[in-house]
Amino acid sequence: MKLMPVSLKAAQKGLFLILTLFILSLFIPRAFANGMTYKSWDEVVTAAKGGTVNWFMWGGADNINQYVSGWVGAELKNRYGITLKRIGINDTAEAVNIVLGEKKAGIDDAGSVDLIWINGGNFRTMKQAGLLYCGYLELLPNNRLVNWRDASIANDFGLPVEGCEVPWNRAQFAFAYDSARTPNPPRSIRELIDWVKAHPGEFTYPAASDFNGSVFIRHVFYYAAGGPEKLLGPFDQATYDAVAPKAWKILNDMKPYLWRKGQTYPNAIAALAQLFANKEVALYFDYDPAIFGVNVENGTFPATTRSYGLGDGTIGNTNYVAIPYNSPNKAAAMVTANFLMSFDAQYEKAKPKIWGTTPAIDVAKLTEAEQKSFHELPRNPAVVAPEVLAKHVLPELHPDWIRAIEKGWQENVAQ
Amino acid sequence: MTARLPIPLRLFLALLICWLMAPLIPLAVWSGSRSWYFPDILPSAYSGRAWSYVFSSVSGVPEGLWQSAFIALSATLLSLLIGLPAGRALGLYKFKGKALFELLILAPLIVPGIAAALGLHMVFLKLGLTGTMAGVVIVHLIPALPYMTLVMASVFAGYNPAAEQQARSLGAGSFQVFRYVTLPAILPGLLTGALFTFLVSWSQYILTLLIGGGRIVTLPLLLFNFASAGRNDITGAISMIYILPGAVLLLIAGRYLTGRNSAADSLRQI
Repeated sequence: MKLMPVSLKAAQKGLFLILTLFILSLFIPRAFANGMTYKSWDEVVTAAKGGTVNWFMWGGADNINQYVSGWVGAELKNRYGITLKRIGINDTAEAVNIVLGEKKAGIDDAGSVDLIWINGGNFRTMKQAGLLYCGYLELLPNNRLVNWRDASIANDFGLPVEGCEVPWNRAQFAFAYDSARTPNPPRSIRELIDWVKAHPGEFTYPAASDFNGSVFIRHVFYYAAGGPEKLLGPFDQATYDAVAPKAWKILNDMKPYLWRKGQTYPNAIAALAQLFANKEVALYFDYDPAIFGVNVENGTFPATTRSYGLGDGTIGNTNYVAIPYNSPNKAAAMVTANFLMSFDAQYEKAKPKIWGTTPAIDVAKLTEAEQKSFHELPRNPAVVAPEVLAKHVLPELHPDWIRAIEKGWQENVAQ
Repeated sequence: MTARLPIPLRLFLALLICWLMAPLIPLAVWSGSRSWYFPDILPSAYSGRAWSYVFSSVSGVPEGLWQSAFIALSATLLSLLIGLPAGRALGLYKFKGKALFELLILAPLIVPGIAAALGLHMVFLKLGLTGTMAGVVIVHLIPALPYMTLVMASVFAGYNPAAEQQARSLGAGSFQVFRYVTLPAILPGLLTGALFTFLVSWSQYILTLLIGGGRIVTLPLLLFNFASAGRNDITGAISMIYILPGAVLLLIAGRYLTGRNSAADSLRQI
């Protein structure tokens, strides 16, 4: 039997093409090793010139994308000659996994991630696995604008920052409602428990696997514990065992009165936003109140949307940007992080039409003219004033606590 | 001239087409809407905002479209070059360990992609292929090749190579044999396999993200950002662009796939 000459030729061609592609790919320039440390800020700025920053960040909001790719990108180009490349991801863990994989493969100076928008569990993963570049904060001129004495900035979900990330935004959990439809929303967890029973089917919360669902469950947990004080610090099994049954009872008692009788929970905060937009549920909540204004602006929520914090306080956090240890463009990433903390960048994103998020820098440390601009910013009526929210702010828990609560909810409430 | 289809069959076909197209209609409406609340049949406000974002320099959608198309076409071409001879060998010949080979070829379809993705990431990192177009094309071959190879194997199982020998005995060269004997016989299968490969590559997310390292940005990467964030308007607009190449290819391929009683003919009769 003769072999098939035609197909064989095709196979050879294919093999040749693959080999060519493979060899070509080896010549795509790898970034140079970057082991040097910088002595002064001027050195950093000089080294950063002409650099490219691959910034991995959650990409689900067009206004944030516009701000970063448009305004920040253009300013970095003009002021420092840096090219900013925003890489939108679904979940920050995807970027963490890329760096983790690179470390395992021994790629220690030519990673693909230069900057990550991060906090909480992902920060913990990276810090503990030694995936972060640390200790450069003193070099950054705008670091003086940050109030590091504020425990909620110096600690990221209970884990000390220790110079491993740069604050970018602050967020504090708040509830939203449609004032035209629900004139008297519940103003505390205590009130919410009764309100849910009086309004069957009008409330639900995302499952614990969702970032915002998880923080709602923590509010109930704080309520069951009589406040967050006992829960702060490292995880304690005895305290957990004392508090958890009370919290699960509250949530299980609520269950028959939830949307769809609690047989199912929205799997993501976006699903809850949809339910609220469709008037299926009366309450919405989010860790970032700016989103209420954004959703009114983009037509998802009705213009009569209003928001508020709880009388017993709501949980606040800070979110940051961090530089992976194997970033080949550390100088450019540092200049970017420093620029993000500047008055100009923080003011621009505080504008309600742009993003409306709370600055991570301490406004009191700015010049008087700058402070005035911040105070004169208009606020979308759907967004509760950050000053009002900040009067009752609750601390975040250590990631081990959060994990235990999320797991406990799955086992005892979701089933 | 084909006979006209009986009325019940035509009705059934019309229903089938509606059923396939129906989910796309809300996406199209969403892409031009500003607010659309349940249970309204139509949006309460319209806007070109989603489309202007999609085509702005910020969104990266036009670049994503070209990157996706280039990668999917390259992956299709490469899988043709590999899958055609492999399918011929599997379809025409019996050899030792054939069952094992078939199982190995099927393996990428059996093992969930997510389980293999992190291991593949490691291998590609060590080969220096991450962050390159070539790396993404090659990694797309892993889920795509089984379709091509299996389709070609089944095509060759019903193919008689004696025709090639006859052509050769009549003086045809290798190329002529392929062009005038083999190719016409396997063309429908070849197009089916190519279509599968293209669509499999077109829809990759996690492999593209890991191997591309964010430097290679395809449409699914951009699409899932907004889909998971619940931005139905932008998701709708990107989806419209996303389904376009598949639909066009399907229509083109449809003409060649079924010959005289083609889907296009049946469509014309409705």
